[in-house]
Amino acid sequence: MSRQSLFTRMTGKNVLMSFTGPFDTEVLSIFGKNIEHSISNDKKLNKTIFKVFIELAQNVSYYSLEKEKTKKGENAGVGTFIIQDFEDYFYFILGNPIDEKHQAILTEKCSRINSYDREGLRAYKRELRKLPQGERGTGNIGLVQAALVSRNPLDYTFIQINEKEAFYIVAVKINKN
Amino acid sequence: MENIYIEGSHTNFFIPTVDFNAETGVCVLSGESFLEDTIEFYDPLVQWLEEYTSEIKKPITFEIKLTYFNTSTSRSILDLLNILKEYEDEGGEVTVNWHYDEDDIDMEEDIEDYMLDTGLEINMIPFDEED
Repeated sequence: MSRQSLFTRMTGKNVLMSFTGPFDTEVLSIFGKNIEHSISNDKKLNKTIFKVFIELAQNVSYYSLEKEKTKKGENAGVGTFIIQDFEDYFYFILGNPIDEKHQAILTEKCSRINSYDREGLRAYKRELRKLPQGERGTGNIGLVQAALVSRNPLDYTFIQINEKEAFYIVAVKINKN
Repeated sequence: MENIYIEGSHTNFFIPTVDFNAETGVCVLSGESFLEDTIEFYDPLVQWLEEYTSEIKKPITFEIKLTYFNTSTSRSILDLLNILKEYEDEGGEVTVNWHYDEDDIDMEEDIEDYMLDTGLEINMIPFDEED
């Protein structure tokens, strides 16, 4: 998806839920509960959206370039998420600032994920899972999981902020049927 | 060797129920797992299993009844299963039963992938969530 169209979607209609700020444990929990219990009348669909939310929101929390110390002393990543409700699908968008140097790595990861079929994605997830535990989170395994669970490719783009920073946006469609 | 029992909860985070019994060798991990600090939670379970398989050396039945776990948890589950596989390779008697919702295709694939990763035979036991 082009940068312009993804950005237009972020600011467009059909917004069901949105948040900008630090993705601390409280935010993850409050929105997680909301999604799990009441985003639609379909329990299985809610669970799918919840799974995507947790994986991608944790990525923002761990990897956003901008960090904010919360009242509890957590150093949580700052970002934005939006859930849009369309007739046939929900559209889940996340964005956070990154070091410009990471743009190439993330582009490679997302494009690699999108190049795989389901079996390839499962193999890639297994490969990442075998890597030694990082200090926080599990690298890009959450992105793979989002693609696997949603059964759709990742939409992603970058908006240059300045020489050193870019705004990374990743989005995924979750079909209603 | 002491047993481990942790009552699961579903509040801000999802703590799974853990029931590891050193007398019977039956270890149950059930509920949901999405934790604030996954490594901190699972490390004692890994250590318990290492101690059981190196000192008690009796048969072990590992029952997994998780209905949800995040990818961070999935690594710790791999660690637990790898210990069981190592024990089996050394002559230990190991049975792994994984109960899952028959409609949960993602979970079914996860179990298959764990078998591929570990070489461990996992008995896949589907259940009907509506029951």
